[in-house]
Amino acid sequence: MAQLRMNGRRVLEAQLQNTAVRAVSGSMVAYDGQVQFKSAGFGGGDGLMAGIKRKATGESMSLMECTGSGTVYFALDAQDITLVDLDNDTLQVESRQLLCMAGNLRTDIKFAGVRGATTGQGLFTTTVSGQGQVAILSAGGPLIGLEVDGQNPLVVDPDAFVAARGQLNQSFITDVSWANVIGEGSGEPFSLRWDGQGVVYIQPAER
Amino acid sequence: MTFEKVNSKVVKVNLSQSGNVLARKGAMLFYSGDVRFVPANAGGAAAGGGMPSMGGIAGMAGRSMAGENVVMMAASGQGEVHYGRAGLHVTIVQLTGGTLVVEASRLLAHTANLQSSVVSLSSGGSGGGGLRGMIRGAVTGQGMFTTQLSGQGSAVLLSHGGTIELPVRPGGGTVVDPQAYVGHTGNVRVDMSANVGWREAVGRGAGEAIQLKLDGEGVVYVQASEQKL
Repeated sequence: MAQLRMNGRRVLEAQLQNTAVRAVSGSMVAYDGQVQFKSAGFGGGDGLMAGIKRKATGESMSLMECTGSGTVYFALDAQDITLVDLDNDTLQVESRQLLCMAGNLRTDIKFAGVRGATTGQGLFTTTVSGQGQVAILSAGGPLIGLEVDGQNPLVVDPDAFVAARGQLNQSFITDVSWANVIGEGSGEPFSLRWDGQGVVYIQPAER
Repeated sequence: MTFEKVNSKVVKVNLSQSGNVLARKGAMLFYSGDVRFVPANAGGAAAGGGMPSMGGIAGMAGRSMAGENVVMMAASGQGEVHYGRAGLHVTIVQLTGGTLVVEASRLLAHTANLQSSVVSLSSGGSGGGGLRGMIRGAVTGQGMFTTQLSGQGSAVLLSHGGTIELPVRPGGGTVVDPQAYVGHTGNVRVDMSANVGWREAVGRGAGEAIQLKLDGEGVVYVQASEQKL
């Protein structure tokens, strides 16, 4: 299995020994050795159903597959990178915050609520499940992990939400006065509410 | 150490230790002591050692053609000067007789005892500048010419998100995204390569169609972003 590791805070290194990783197209900054790059389609899987989902949700990302032997260096817009290890569990992540995946991992698009159609933020999330490593991006500084302990719900701004893992339920809050304070965009202001047990990752910037 | 990092984005230099310093115009943040600033552009007379090797009209024409005509200010005197630019990360490079090749827009400052000249990016070897260089410039947006510093001294590079250093070995095959390439030191040949099929390049390719291939002996500086400066 290909090994991912950090080189500083903003550059990811993938060690390939006749193995492969999938990364966002265009995120390679350098490589060393014999490595081939080819388009690996989109994150939501293949087939007709996946295509419809992509069209409907706008949650698409163009991936490339890097195969061969050597070291590949990935970085995107000077964003901070965090490595997450998955051991037969699932990570929900904003598709545009996903950088690279190594191991036996599947991606799918999850439809989180009907309200998303008008605002499109944080509602159709990509899920990554299986066993391996996932590199996620955060703008504005290192990723912030917030524990949800089952006692109090956690409410986050959808524009700052990056990823979530654990036994969590997502719901929406539309509190106009609160949303007016934090919301920057137009459309329907709302926030994301998380109940259960797990970790929610946010970035110190709003998209 | 002549240049010293104050944090990841600001450097300071003590002029009594470093001698005169050339820096991009507008990059001076603040100084203390008795320091004078003199523009040191094409003519280079005031630069005190930073004489460009391509002098006169031909040199000027070359520079403005290449976009390598960034005005530098020479700081001299006694005191401490702080430099920084546009919130970009800084990388300090020490030269001990070797050469550093960097685009003018990515050069923040250098000590005046380094010789500065404008060169074609791949002048180090065969298949150099000329038509291929021009095509590369057009395709990648990367200049056909870059600034070369040589001698003994130090220089400060600018990057979006900081740099990593990758070794370049003979026949090692280090390849860099042109938009993430910052500069290199040592005896390195840079070649443009498009080692993907035509269909990949125009269609749903992997987005890494054009690459810079580095061969030789040295170090290449790569930034953590595809953003041009």
